[in-house]
Parts: sequence; structure tokens; C-alpha cells
Amino acid sequence: MIKTEQHKRNPLRILKNSTKGGVGKGNIGVIAARKGVGKTACLVHIATDQLFEEKHVIHVSFSANTSHIISWYEDIFDEIAKKFSIDSAAEVHDRIIKNRIIMNFNQDGVKIKQITNSMKSLIKDGNFSANTIVIDGYDFTKCTIDDLKIIRSFANELGLEVWFSASLKDDKTELNENGIPAVLSDFTDEISILIYMKPEKDYIKLQLIKDHDIFPVPDMHLKLDPLSLLIVETE
Amino acid sequence: MRDDISTIRNIGISAHIDSGKTTLTERILFYCKKIHAIHEIKDKDGKGATMDSMELERERGITISSAATNVDWKDHSINIIDTPGHVDFTIEVERALRVLDGAILVLCAVGGVQSQSITVDRQLKRYQVPRIAFINKCDRTGANPYRVTQHLREKLGLNAVLLQIPIGLEDKLAGVIDLITMKALYFDGENGETIREEEIPANMREEAEAKHKDMLDAITMVSDELAEAYLEGKVTNELIHDTIRKATISLQLTPVALGSAYKNKGVQPLLDMTIKYLPDPNDVNNIALDLDANENEVKLISDKDKPTVALAFKLEDGQYGQLSYIRIYQGSLKKGDELYNSRSQKKFKVGRLIRMHADKMEDINNARCGDIVAVFGIDCASGDTFSHPNLNYSMTTMHVPETVISLAIKPKDLKSSDNLGKALNRFVKEDPTFRTYTDEESGERIISGMGELHLDVYIERMKREYDVIVEAGMPQVAYREAITKPVTFDYTHKKQTGGSGQFARIAGTIEPNHEGVFEFVDKIKGGVIPTEFIPACEKGFFECMKKGRLIGFPIVGVKITLEDGDFHSVDSSTMAFQIASTAAFWQVYSKANPQILEPIMKVTVEGPSEFQGNIFGSINQRRGIIISSTEDDIICRVEADVPLSEMFGYSTDLRSMTQGKSEFSMEFLKYSKVPESISDKIKKEIEEKKKKKGK
Repeated sequence: MIKTEQHKRNPLRILKNSTKGGVGKGNIGVIAARKGVGKTACLVHIATDQLFEEKHVIHVSFSANTSHIISWYEDIFDEIAKKFSIDSAAEVHDRIIKNRIIMNFNQDGVKIKQITNSMKSLIKDGNFSANTIVIDGYDFTKCTIDDLKIIRSFANELGLEVWFSASLKDDKTELNENGIPAVLSDFTDEISILIYMKPEKDYIKLQLIKDHDIFPVPDMHLKLDPLSLLIVETE
Repeated sequence: MRDDISTIRNIGISAHIDSGKTTLTERILFYCKKIHAIHEIKDKDGKGATMDSMELERERGITISSAATNVDWKDHSINIIDTPGHVDFTIEVERALRVLDGAILVLCAVGGVQSQSITVDRQLKRYQVPRIAFINKCDRTGANPYRVTQHLREKLGLNAVLLQIPIGLEDKLAGVIDLITMKALYFDGENGETIREEEIPANMREEAEAKHKDMLDAITMVSDELAEAYLEGKVTNELIHDTIRKATISLQLTPVALGSAYKNKGVQPLLDMTIKYLPDPNDVNNIALDLDANENEVKLISDKDKPTVALAFKLEDGQYGQLSYIRIYQGSLKKGDELYNSRSQKKFKVGRLIRMHADKMEDINNARCGDIVAVFGIDCASGDTFSHPNLNYSMTTMHVPETVISLAIKPKDLKSSDNLGKALNRFVKEDPTFRTYTDEESGERIISGMGELHLDVYIERMKREYDVIVEAGMPQVAYREAITKPVTFDYTHKKQTGGSGQFARIAGTIEPNHEGVFEFVDKIKGGVIPTEFIPACEKGFFECMKKGRLIGFPIVGVKITLEDGDFHSVDSSTMAFQIASTAAFWQVYSKANPQILEPIMKVTVEGPSEFQGNIFGSINQRRGIIISSTEDDIICRVEADVPLSEMFGYSTDLRSMTQGKSEFSMEFLKYSKVPESISDKIKKEIEEKKKKKGK
């Protein structure tokens, strides 16, 4: 394990400590926000943090090409390396980045079953012992409760934790009366950790909405730094 | 010869293998009346397409050499370089791109942007070649030119704009609608030679209007002038053409045409677009280096009265000796002119001047800047610059990659032995990525290149063109050695007993250089080593880089800092310091923890999604690191970094595990440390090889 300052002082430890030990194997975590608020940055930071722990990550995306996702990882890694003055960063980068695979699906209306089948094939045939899956850009308006059950059962079977990003409508209906993002209101039972990214005056607050069976939950005091695009503690 | 340079187009046809570029070229030759019958690749009558001039290419259905040909279309002279599609021959593609002003990027309407299209487009970008895209094979089942256009935008990042839409698709492809003139074009006659212009079919009117608007929206984005005219309702076809031309040349836009070369549809409008939108030699900036003025950059001017500057970009063995294809950048050329080769520093006279049409040729008396012609009987290498004897210019060095694979060859009989040198000499001149040398220890003749197929093709060519039959050894990966730990050295070379003595002492550090190159830093102060001996020290260290002591491969990435030393006023000499440096290096080499580096290839495998698991498995078995996988309808594309040593025989394995439905391309990515377990295996293998040779 890469025991560095970044490991000890990492705000993502706060996320783990604030929640009941993080998402946990076989569970789903969701980061919800409007478009352009920084969901991808958060997911990539969470994924990179897992890589620093020498864990294996599959990053699922739905874009036309994978180059900009790779750029996200490069940028977040550089920021972390800079922030925690990591020695021989290039070597560390080369060592951990091989534990990340990007799976990109760019056909219209790809089914969850197909995504899990492809991941299973990668894990089994490709002998890739994944620990964490991040799924960025999945359209929850087309999602059914069965889809999430498929993902959970897949995560359970292979002992994975899964992080999703969920895009919210850019209007007042983004949260329902219980403070849950409207698009996710049917799925709260399947989601173990739900974080809402709330734009404040000059930063983005990470508000924990659901923590396993605890709801509502106390504030985590985490935010997305608009400059480095890293998750940091609020002062 | 036409006087107006603006009527010249020098274009390349770049594409993924099997997207039909040779068929397209064949049709272009036919419509431009250069050939009188159409031959398909691997035709039943045994004749291949005209541009596949080499027998081997005809047999394999692939194009290896970039044969040049000249055609006339509507008062324009178009020089076409047919470029190879396989990645093992990309130096050929790159060399062709160097002399081109524009390119047609051919894509398959079914396969879309495939792995090779991405490589080829990257090369076009590197040389900033403006391009138009042609979506071919619209008659095939599953053809979808709209999806391919989308791919051009998303995967290649091009501002691709459809200037046509198909009338029917797959087996119902009847013609195309020109979105600028808003006319339907049909291709009648046995070979589609008669173009019939009609009104747009009523059932397509609405779609055509919508696409016309999309096209205008896209073009107005790159031109304020057109946007204004659009708002004022004053858009003319001339203004649209003019805007597209400017935007294409400035790489802001890629016009997209479509059709099916095989079914003779859409080729003539593509030729129209070529002369309308691709640049003429005046539109392109070309730079040479003035070797007499510190290699200062000099802009070449497309003026026939300026002193001549030309570049040899392709050599071929013709009936009458060596045929050199040249692009004239400045001035003009006539039979009998004297030129100067800046590499060999020799003057020569231009004998026969030829305009090429695939393997037929036409004698001409003169040629001018912007043109691509061939000359006979000149001793030169590919990439040489020819200029007026008063100039000493060199065109910018072409990007030549390092070879990554080598194999030993042995002539089978005396006749082969005699001709082998001739064949190798020719290939080395033709192709800078093909190299040959004799291994000092084993005395074996070694050839090296960019991949297995690359070397296979040359072995075949030796047989076919020179009657040379060789036995080829197992391919050998070009390993490297690199140190991983800094070490200090302090070495005294002393031999002062009897006769003239030798004395040199040197001290300093040896450390890894992450730039991957050899660096020598002189930090000697106070003259403890006299300045005249410093170059000898550098030479001594540099000599060590040629062959490491781990497995006998070159050492890379070493920085040497010379900090201290000593000398003797009588016994010190350059020889003594060189010996001391070499000995000092070997004394500490093992302490610097040397490791073996191996070439890692960027591999892209493409195949039906149902075989994704097999593809993942095959990469995993080969110590590959999967970087990403993309699923796109029925096709999946896996990108991975795989050691070259593990890629031998991959094409056969891939074919068999995916029922021949997958393909891969690879190119050199970087050198990387070999894992400990593999390192021991390599050492053993090399040791055994040496023993065998010793027997």
C-alpha cells in the first residue's frame, strides 16, 4: 500500500469515517448534481484514491472516446501529487494507473445487463481483480429498479463497491420534498450512500443525504475545491 | 505543362485497410481516362488494381508501396499517392504525407472510424494535411454514413460536415444528393461514367432541406462572411464553395462525401471536391533548412523562376535503373539540369524526367514547382533534398521511428548470397525504417524493422524481385539496458612500467537519465583534467552505451557527471582517459542496478462484441495492460499496452479465436522495465542463443 501523506490526510477518509465505513462491498453509492457541477471530478478523485490504495478500478463511461476520461485521471493525479508532494510521482503514476481500466459504451440505450456482462468478461477473461466500479454519465431517467438490482447482485457476487454519478435537472424540481434528488426518489432503497453536490457561493458543498439506513445524516464538511477540482474539507 | 500552379493538386488517399481505397483509386483513374477497364483487387482475370504495382501487393490484396500517378480532371492536374493501409508500413504513409498538400480519408460506411483510420488521421494531423472524407461502401449491408460522420466528429475530433446525403442505402443505393446545389446525382452507364442530374426525389425533399440547413449552420460557424450573407439571405453556391475551401485548408472543417466506389457511385463528385476544396501548392507553407546558414529555416516559394528545391520521397527499381519520385517545392526542372544532393554533397544531371501513371510512364521535358515527377538513374536515398547547385538546403527531417524487431537471415545458396547485398542496399535506401547490419559476434546478417509483417514483406520481396532465398531466424526484440540507481566512480588507469606509460584518473557520478538519452556533464574545475582529455572521457563512456553487460543490448538513459580526476604531465593521453572512462563505467555498472527494458506496443484490437472476452483474455495472457475498451453497437475496440515480445503470432491467434472476424494494429509506444521473472528468462534465452552460435 502506498502509505503517503495523501493517504493519511485524505478527505476521502472523512467520507469513509462520516459514513458507516464507506459504500461497502456489494453496495451502491451515488453522487448527484446538476450538469457541470463536478460529478466526474468527484468520481475520478474517489477512483484515484482507490488506486492509491492499490485497489483495482473499472471506470465505466458513455462518451464517444476515452481520451478525455484519461485526461481527467491525469489532471486529478497531478493535483494530488502536487498537493501532497508525492515523491517520484511519475513512477507512482505508472504503477497505479495500470490498475484502472476504462470501459466505454457508446451505443444508444445500452442495457445494464450488457454492461455487467462486459465487466464480468473483463474481470474473468481479462483476469482483472476489480474492487471498485465507477459509472459516470448513466442516465437515471431511463433506469428501472430492476436495473439497480442487477448491478447490486453483480456487485455482491464479485465483492465490488459501485459508485454512480447522477445528473439532475437544472431547475427547482431537482430535489423532492424529502431533500432527495427527484430522479433518484424511486431508488433510495437500492442506494447505500447518496451525496448531493450543492453549489454554494464560491464552492460546491458535498452534502451527505443518505448513509446506509441513516437518514438524514450530519454534515461531512466536505467540498469540491473549484480550483484543483479535488474533494477537500471545508474550513 | 500547365502554367498555373493553382491547377495542381497533390493528394494522398489514406485509409484503414479494406476500406476500399485501392478500388477508389482505380475508379478515379478510369474516370480520368487513365485506364480503359476496371480491375478489382484479386480480380478473376488475375489482374490486380492498377495502383497495386508490385506483384506481391496484388497477391495479398494490400498496397505496400506508395506508387504515384498523375491524372487530369476538369483542367486540373492531380498527383495521387496511393498510401499503404497496414500500420507496419506507416513510414510509407508518413513519407507520402510529407509531400502531399491534401488527402482523401476513406472510411467504410459500415466499419466507420476503425483503428487504422485513427492512426492515419493522427499522421495527417502531424503534417497538418487538410482532408476531405469519403464514406465508401454505402452499398454494404449495415452502411450508415450519418453514424460515420458522427464518429469523425467524436472519435477524430474533426469538424466533419456532410455535403451529400445518399439516395437509398445498402443494396438500394441509387445515387447522392448534393446539398449545395440541391440536386440529385445518378451514375449511369456500365461503369457509372455518365452523371445524370435530376431534381431531388419528392420523398427526400424534406430530409434534404433539413440536411442542407445543418450543413449551412455548420459552415457559417467558421465564417462570419457566410453567416452575414446567410442572415441577409444572400448565400450563393460560390460563397459556400469558397468558405468550405478556406476552412478545409485552415483545418477548421472536413467536408464529407459519400458513395460506393465498387458500385461506381459518388466518385466524380469526390474529384470535384478534390479540386474545389483541397489546397494547391500555393496554399501550403513549405520550409527548408539552409545548411550554409546554421540550419536556419527558409520558406520555399512556389515560383518557377526561383532556384530549384525538390525532395526525393520514394525510390523504385525500374526497368532502366533506379526511379526516384520527387516533389518539386520551388523553381522548375528540365532534362539536363544540374542539381545538388545536400546529403551526399554531390552534383548530378537530370537525365530522363518522367510523369508516372502507376507502372506506366510518360517522358516529359520539364516540370515545375508543386509537381510530383520521377527521375531516372540518380544515386540517392529516400528523403534526400535536391537543389540548385548554388543552394545547400535540406527539407525538414522526417520523423523516423526506431526499429523494434530484428531477425537474422542467411542466404540459402551462392546465387542468393550474391544478390542479397544488392537487395538489402535497395531496401535500406527505399525505407528508412528498414535497417541491416552484420552482428560482430556471430557474423550473422541482421535485418530490423517495425514489425513482423514489415520484415516478412521484405523477405518476400528479396525472393520475388532479386531471386534471393533466405533462411530467417526467430524474430528478436530490440531490448535495451538501463541503470536504475545513481553510483559514484573513482578509477585510476595506470600503466607505468617500461616504455611510454599511461596514466588517467577520473571520478564522478553515473545516474539514470529519465530523458532516455546519453548525457555527459563536465564539472571539472581547476584543470585537474586538462580540457583536451575531456572529449576522450566522453567517448570512453559513450562507447560503453553500445553494448550492455546484462544481455548485450544497448544501454539507454545514462547521465555521467565528471567531477574530479588527475593526470600525469608525461604519461597521460587521450587514449589513457578513454580507457579509464570505459573501465570506470564497467566497474560500477552492476552496482547501478541495471535492468532490461523492452519495447511496449500500443495495441488496438477490434472485433465483434461477442468476442470481447477472448480479446481480453488474449491480452492478459500476453502480459498486456488493458487501457480501455469501447463498445459501439456490435463492434468492440480494446486498447492495451503489450510488450512486443508477446505479440509474435498474435494475428494468427486472434484470427483463430475470433473466427477471423477481428483485427489489430500496433505501434511502438515506449520502452519499459521488464518484470524480474521475465528478465531472468530473457537472460537465459540470450545466453543459450550465444552458446548455440558458439557451437
